[in-house]
Amino acid sequence: MITRDMAGGAAASLIGAFYLYYASQLRPSSLADSVGPQGLPLVYGWLTLGLGFILLAQALIAVLRASPADHAKQADAWTGQGRRTLWAAGLLAFAAGYLLIVEALGYLLSLAILIPAVAIYLGARIGWRPVAVGVGGAVVLWLMFDKLLGVDMPEGVLRGLGL
Amino acid sequence: METLLATLPFLLDPSILIAAFVGVTWGILGGALPGISPSITMALLLPFTYTMDPGAAIVLLASTYVGAEYGGSVPAILIRTPGTNAAAATVLDGYEMNLQGKAGLALGISLYSGFIGSMVGLILLMLLSAPLSSVALAFTPPAYFALGILGLSVIATLSGDSLVKGLIAALLGLIIATIGTDPVTGSNRFTFGSADLLGGIEPVMIMVGLFAMSELLAQASQRGEVNKIRSRPRIEFPDWPLAKRLIPSQLIGSTIGSFEGVMPGAGGTIASFMSYNEARRWSKYPEEFGKGSPEGIAAPESANNAVAETAIIPVLSFGIPGSNSTAILLGGFLIHGLQPGPMLFVQAGDVIYGLYAGLFVAIIGMMIMGIAMLPLCVWLVNRPLPYLNAVILALILSGIYSIHGSLFDVGLMLAAGVLGFFMRMLRFPFLPTVLGLVLGFLVESNFRRSLVLSGDDYMIFVDDRISLALLVLSGLFIFGSLARRAVAALRKENRTAFSEGSDG
Repeated sequence: MITRDMAGGAAASLIGAFYLYYASQLRPSSLADSVGPQGLPLVYGWLTLGLGFILLAQALIAVLRASPADHAKQADAWTGQGRRTLWAAGLLAFAAGYLLIVEALGYLLSLAILIPAVAIYLGARIGWRPVAVGVGGAVVLWLMFDKLLGVDMPEGVLRGLGL
Repeated sequence: METLLATLPFLLDPSILIAAFVGVTWGILGGALPGISPSITMALLLPFTYTMDPGAAIVLLASTYVGAEYGGSVPAILIRTPGTNAAAATVLDGYEMNLQGKAGLALGISLYSGFIGSMVGLILLMLLSAPLSSVALAFTPPAYFALGILGLSVIATLSGDSLVKGLIAALLGLIIATIGTDPVTGSNRFTFGSADLLGGIEPVMIMVGLFAMSELLAQASQRGEVNKIRSRPRIEFPDWPLAKRLIPSQLIGSTIGSFEGVMPGAGGTIASFMSYNEARRWSKYPEEFGKGSPEGIAAPESANNAVAETAIIPVLSFGIPGSNSTAILLGGFLIHGLQPGPMLFVQAGDVIYGLYAGLFVAIIGMMIMGIAMLPLCVWLVNRPLPYLNAVILALILSGIYSIHGSLFDVGLMLAAGVLGFFMRMLRFPFLPTVLGLVLGFLVESNFRRSLVLSGDDYMIFVDDRISLALLVLSGLFIFGSLARRAVAALRKENRTAFSEGSDG
């Protein structure tokens, strides 16, 4: 049975190992100080790897010492987690999709698509309201960032209209 | 007294009054937008200051800084998104109070504590510019390194139930801080050939990702399971018993903030976390922290608002900006041909006294405009969750893009959001990661510089008195926390043993 701490310990060890690998690839310079660019990254890498193992060991010991009731509770802790992760991934996909379209379509249009799409995905009823909020929200944010704060947002297909 | 008398006439100067109110309003707006840092908010005003009177121009910029430091707490409390780096600590208890239906009170405490911190900072700025700046001069690389270690030592108390998880989280932050250019040799580290990573990763991207984006991902994962808490759309200031309870945490925050503000590179983020930690340590109700403690808002807000005033001291006294925001302020001086430093007090004293008056007006203005704009913010938080979250996502994506105009930055923020989502799932705390991220550069650069100065003699960290004092303090914090954990674990075991024996 895999507990959260086991997963956390394994993840930390993996991150530490990767980081150590790339830290060891850093080329020392003859102009560097005695610690060098590698120095502290190696320390951080070893510490992360070591603490990951410690967490893993703590989790294993806890599982071995756990009562049957605790085992059942720990098994329940993961129930539904896969589904929840997929829902979260869906939102992430919308955000990533925005990154892909914003330069082509422009800031205003992209937001006008993103906001209602995300709202419906998160549970809003399909109808005029998400579209109204999307368009209104996009216009307000565009006015705030592009016009009021003077940030250069992507213009995209509306470049010719000065938007 | 002489300073006070010289400042008084400027309180009636219309240009100073207008600049202060406009600046603080602009600052609150900018600070409340996640991704728009105080420095960006100030930088956007710089072109407008060219044609202004020098005194009014400086007041406009400084007031913007004051407003932004408060403004960052508004989204921190309402949507769990720090509007500025320094408001990250306010998220901890501010958002919890929001979930308990006390958003109005949380915002009122934030505003009131910000007012206290700002006033304390201003008084210190006026009275102690010269003495405090000489303390800043005394900080050497070993002392800065020790200051970073002191900041990291609070991880011992912020790690929740698992110190190991807290340390791993802190190391994640330190690891992220190593990405970019090596602070001593200038060589590239962990950039994987990407030009976008050469300058490192701005902490605000990671913070917005960890706090805000991961919250959106978590809410998306719980579709239909979340009970929306409706906040009362009214601002509430603390009553006298609560205000009395908040005094110690406000004093702690104001003191730490004032000290940290003077230290170049230390800043509002470190001050707010250290204040939070110290307020919890000295509180009569430490168990409430993280669960909606009013002191958990009062301390960091007093601190980061005090920083906004005392951070100006190194700029005025030596022309040395200690942060991005004060660098913009320095730019404002230079545009008008004013060279900050000791001679500024002699050659352009009216600008200095006008600045003091303007800051005073800005702090009062912060209260007025903060109250005026908050009902709008509270209305926003009561909107249906799908729409609110969709607009927040759009706001976050826009805010991060606006930092450098780079979609790569937005991608980094999304990656931090994924990291935060999994950290939540695996019950890792965020705060140590933020601390590691913010302090990583300070710790590494000054550690290595110190060894270069000493010829690799580690005794330099002990020979420097300030460094030694700070390291001893760090050791006491860590030891105290470990001892408390050990005692708590022993008590838990004793209770378990007792009950097992009883069942016998």
